[in-house]
Amino acid sequence: MSWYRDNMTHKKNDDLSADDIVADEMVEQQIARHMADLLNDGAQRLMPHQEQRLLLARDAAVSYLAERQAQLQYGNGHVRQGNVLRWFGDRFGQQHRMTSAALVILVMLLTLFAVQQFEWNSNLENSDAFLLASDLPPEAYADKGFDAWLDTN
Amino acid sequence: MVRYQLILKFVLGLLFVMFAGFAHADEANLSWSQLSEDQQKVLNPLSSEWDSLRPWQREKMLDIARDYPKMSPQKQERVKNRLSNWSRMTPYERENARKKHQRFKGLPDDKKQALREKWHKYQSLSEAERAKLRAESPDTYGDSAFE
Repeated sequence: MSWYRDNMTHKKNDDLSADDIVADEMVEQQIARHMADLLNDGAQRLMPHQEQRLLLARDAAVSYLAERQAQLQYGNGHVRQGNVLRWFGDRFGQQHRMTSAALVILVMLLTLFAVQQFEWNSNLENSDAFLLASDLPPEAYADKGFDAWLDTN
Repeated sequence: MVRYQLILKFVLGLLFVMFAGFAHADEANLSWSQLSEDQQKVLNPLSSEWDSLRPWQREKMLDIARDYPKMSPQKQERVKNRLSNWSRMTPYERENARKKHQRFKGLPDDKKQALREKWHKYQSLSEAERAKLRAESPDTYGDSAFE
């Protein structure tokens, strides 16, 4: 590796010709083959417990990858993983903080509006205006004499 | 961060409620000339005494003016005719009238009709007789007939 690095450093400021590029690719391939040979040699000399650990690590990595792919496929086809806002698309999911704040405010405003409407409707028949428009005049409700007279009649 | 957002929302809501409250309180301080044309039209029987009414009395009257357009012409006429007497009643009398009106609304139709007839009968008594009945009545209001 060091001879290759030195070679590249030496050429750093020079213009690379087409021959140089082909030569570099060949050098890289040689390095890759050399590394593969070294790994193969090393693999021949692995102890059984090292082989076992490598096998377990590989299985774990493969099963993780398979699980992840299954999740992604399920998410694309059906319900997305994550918060409810992602049902409306990734854009909402990515901006979920702002969107959820806006939703909370919207719900608050709607609740306020609903409560006001409810109070308005319930107060409507209870307001003084409807007492004044009642079948009996307000004096009938407030006249103590009428109360006393009702007791005896 | 979430806590600050919640506090901010709470403060905004509080300011909104306070603003609405102040707006309502301001309306009760309006003089007769500052009332809208519609309000003056409804509250016309009170025009001469409006400026001497207390803010809470004006507030109640403005509520009446607000609900007036929702009524039938017959009920609107009743309101106009009764408004002046209503404004002269004491807060105690009005509160009792409100309570009894609520009870009256809950009565079956036959009892309501009976009370209406009795009120007409009572009206046929002379003013002296009615004054005597009032004078003999205790200060507390009975409500047996409205139950």
